Amino acid sequence: MSAPTLSKRQPPPPAPDAGAPRIPRDRAAFRQALKRNLTAHGFLIGAVLCFSLFSWYPMVREFFLAFEKRENGRTVWAGWSNFTYIFNDPAFWQAWRNTLLFTGLALLLGFVVPFVVALVLNEFRHGRGYLRLLVYLPVMLPPVASVLLFKYFYDPGYGLFNRALGAVGLPEQQWLQSTDTAMLSVVIAATWMNMGGATLIYLAALQGIPGELYEAAELDGAGILRKIWHVTVPQTRLVLSLMLLMQIIATMQVFVEPFLLTGGAGPEGATLTVVQLIYQYAFTFNNYGSAAALGLVLLVLLAGFSAAYVRLSRASEE
Amino acid sequence: MTRSGTRRPRTHRRHTAALASALALATLAACGTSSSDDGSGGGDAVDTAQAAAPLDPKTKVTLTIDCMPPATEKAELKQWKEDVEKFNEKYPNVTIEGKQTDPCLEPPRFTAMLKAESQPDVFYTYFTDLQQVLDNDGATDISAYVNDRTVPALKDMDPDVLDVLKQDGKLYGLPYSNYTMGLLINRPLFEKAGLDPDKPPTTWPQVRAAAKRIAALGDGTAGFGEYSAGNNGGWHFTATTYGLGGDIVDEGGSKAAFDDATGKRILDNLKAMRWDDDSMGKTQLLKWGDLQKQMASGKLGMFLAAPDDITYMVQNLGAKYEDYGMAPIPGQRATLFGGNDYMIKKGISPDKVKAAIAWINFKFLTPGKGQFDWARTKADGLPVGLPQPNFWTGATKTAHDRARAANSTMPVANFKAFTDNRVQGKPEPPKAQEIYKVLDTVMSAVLTNKNADTGQLLDTAERQVDQILANQ
Amino acid sequence: MTTRTLISPAQLARPRGKFLYWSAFALVLAVFTLVFVGPLYWMVTSGLKSPQEFARTPPTLVPENAHPGNYADAWGVLDLAKLLGNTLYYALGALAFQLVLDVAAAYSLSKLRPALGKLILGAMLLTLMIPAAVLVVPQYLTVLDVPIIERNLVNSPWAIWLPSVTNAFNIFLLKRFFDSIPRELLDAAAIDGASPLRTLRSVVLPISRPILGVVSIFAVVGVWKDFLWPMLTLPDPGKQTINVGIYSLAASVTENWLLAALVIASLPTLAIFLVCQRHIMSGLTAGSLKG
Repeated sequence: MSAPTLSKRQPPPPAPDAGAPRIPRDRAAFRQALKRNLTAHGFLIGAVLCFSLFSWYPMVREFFLAFEKRENGRTVWAGWSNFTYIFNDPAFWQAWRNTLLFTGLALLLGFVVPFVVALVLNEFRHGRGYLRLLVYLPVMLPPVASVLLFKYFYDPGYGLFNRALGAVGLPEQQWLQSTDTAMLSVVIAATWMNMGGATLIYLAALQGIPGELYEAAELDGAGILRKIWHVTVPQTRLVLSLMLLMQIIATMQVFVEPFLLTGGAGPEGATLTVVQLIYQYAFTFNNYGSAAALGLVLLVLLAGFSAAYVRLSRASEE
Repeated sequence: MTRSGTRRPRTHRRHTAALASALALATLAACGTSSSDDGSGGGDAVDTAQAAAPLDPKTKVTLTIDCMPPATEKAELKQWKEDVEKFNEKYPNVTIEGKQTDPCLEPPRFTAMLKAESQPDVFYTYFTDLQQVLDNDGATDISAYVNDRTVPALKDMDPDVLDVLKQDGKLYGLPYSNYTMGLLINRPLFEKAGLDPDKPPTTWPQVRAAAKRIAALGDGTAGFGEYSAGNNGGWHFTATTYGLGGDIVDEGGSKAAFDDATGKRILDNLKAMRWDDDSMGKTQLLKWGDLQKQMASGKLGMFLAAPDDITYMVQNLGAKYEDYGMAPIPGQRATLFGGNDYMIKKGISPDKVKAAIAWINFKFLTPGKGQFDWARTKADGLPVGLPQPNFWTGATKTAHDRARAANSTMPVANFKAFTDNRVQGKPEPPKAQEIYKVLDTVMSAVLTNKNADTGQLLDTAERQVDQILANQ
Repeated sequence: MTTRTLISPAQLARPRGKFLYWSAFALVLAVFTLVFVGPLYWMVTSGLKSPQEFARTPPTLVPENAHPGNYADAWGVLDLAKLLGNTLYYALGALAFQLVLDVAAAYSLSKLRPALGKLILGAMLLTLMIPAAVLVVPQYLTVLDVPIIERNLVNSPWAIWLPSVTNAFNIFLLKRFFDSIPRELLDAAAIDGASPLRTLRSVVLPISRPILGVVSIFAVVGVWKDFLWPMLTLPDPGKQTINVGIYSLAASVTENWLLAALVIASLPTLAIFLVCQRHIMSGLTAGSLKG
């Protein structure tokens, strides 16, 4: 793979003078290695400092925080009490149920819709640039703009969606204001906002499928659906599974969409998500310990998916 | 000035008001004995006696203080500077170094400030911040410094207000402003609906009837509005419960107290207004700011609010003072109150503490001076007449209210129903935000689900609040 | 385009196939335009309406009386110049920090082979495994009181700039690209006596333009779109980003102004997108496929 790390494993640089005595040459090599290392670390130091302060240190701190609490101006060891606190919080299980529901719905919509869109777009010989542009457009909007737009559309009183339903004679919906449809509404908005990226990635993958495979399938008399199932899906399997994992990891961390659409909890807490709850613990209740404890629970769960993702993307390199 | 932050009170853990005031009495008594034994009874007593004395005019200190009006608020800033000058006539060696923080307090910045111990000598907080400040060991116990000589109007200050600034009998802050909640009404809509805006509803059946009349005006007009998101729903459920004489948490602070006939009545009434009468509009999951916007655009008849919601609507949403009136909270048994105050940083010198109290007393707690110089406020073109702040009692209150009315710049008669019916103030429950979160669920259920089972909702919420109170 | 796809060219060539193709095309074109441009159209036109017209049922498709003044009012009332200026400042600063520090780090890891380089790279990539949402709380507490330098970075642009450097994905992308640069090219420069810094400047960077473009766009767009982090670390209204600023003022302005403000807020990223379309799209697919 990449270059070996330790300098002593490096092949010695071409000696300038083959006839020079042995020991000085070693010293020269050492000095050169030292100099190279100093330069190399000089290039690294800025990023390493930033990582130390804003990534690695907080990672370590997250673990400590989960076992600490504040009492009378002092930080004291809390044992497992932050964890018992979150497990006893009635909102904990609801937040997990909601998050899993969101993830499930987001996979149904956010995973399937972009793939189907990519399949369709890939068939067109015209206007592909324009259509691609359209699909990616929402990704470039500031999230506040997209979310507030949907908030207007969803309004049960004057919202555009209910007007449209009414115009075609369908019953009006409560959208964000009903426990049945609130999460689905959030997912629809999130899909609109974020599907562009996935669609483009699928499109690129589809274009990498050798045309002969389709021809061969046609010789066997396969219809469109069978071609998709036996050629397209297997050929893009790797990209599909990578995207699936990435989406699971991303959607389990959903925050902005419900936060802006329903003010967080939504009707009877129907859109309260785990990250939303972390935010509440930390920034509404000033209970950083419980926020960290809940973060650790989320971390453990997502670590599995992350590990799978890394393994798969390694596989894609080979 | 005070904005949503005031209305979005945050976490605190306190003893009940009764317990706190009992302890306060005990400590006051203790103070009395220890300071009378001539200062020879040990270091503490010496300090106490010295602390009780007012600031020596010769003292030379520099005091940093936040929440000085920003440059955009020209009149307020001018008044601040005038007051500093006047204060310096008596205390020429005290330098008041104001810090312009706008808004005065923002929770994340506040948290950061406490953690980094970077608060100025005198710092602005909300009533509900006491626990957070003490958790960070951020405030000086000023009990020994505050007495009738250093704060002459102390005896006429609402004891309920002072109580929220105490813990275990120790005083940590002095009030700046406070509010009590009432029913805000839209006078033009009342008239349009054939209702008398000078006789606003005072009970929930009356509110319901009026809301129905107003909603009948059509064109998307709602009669009554209520929050159900961002913990604001739980906060208003609490206010409503207090109004009807109920409570959220029992005396001992360990059990939920809202799952009773009163709680059910509140929810059933809201549910009936929302679904049977359709007088609350279709859009729900509202939070602070949404109702104000609806009312300022003339689409909402009533909602529960503090008086300075009107200021907010006038300053930000182009509304006019004369369009609004206030009635007491329906039921009038008690009303939720809140407010803001100044605390003094822990660890600064006794002279600085004295100077701080002298300045707070001069600027914020002297009737006829500083913030209570209503004639000057009127002359500077600022609004006068809102029933807020509202922390005086007895003779001071009478004199103060008269001065405010005499200089009012708005039709104060519109607030007559509110000011004439003084309702006992009541602070927020312990673990307020955590409880509000649970009650938000109840409120959103009633306002978004036609088939919500109010009894069952209360049972669930009670169980959850019990759990919160038992947790940790 | 000549690539062979799902439907065979022979099928398409038939009259029935042609008809189906064109009707499907027209349908998709119409639906996509409605779904993706429709909301934008609604946003722009609603920003032009008067509050009364905005609230009308049914809504007007074209504003009866266009009030372009709404846009000027929104600009002034929400102080968009300041919000946009702040955001631009944070975005460009983050871009500069990432370009300098991340490029240097990736170059070092790829070509200068420092001791423990693999370990450092591993530790950087490890941060990709930690969900961002989990790190927000300890990161926020760190920014309140940064160890060693003992500063509170709240309300300071450093709270955006420095954490933006910890973008392991960018370092990874850059390192991969640098890895693909043939050694001989660098060795030639080294023989000419060029220092590593000069080699980076005169050899590596010029051929890395495409990847630098991709990284830059993501850096800028990342700051522009971020919400939770700037909301926590830049609470001062005078220092807020456009996203957070509009969010916190949303309740206190009328709907037509708010929508006008949203349009204005959307313009910069849309402009970047339209100008740098190709870069973004290629970067996106390259990055994610291999990442």
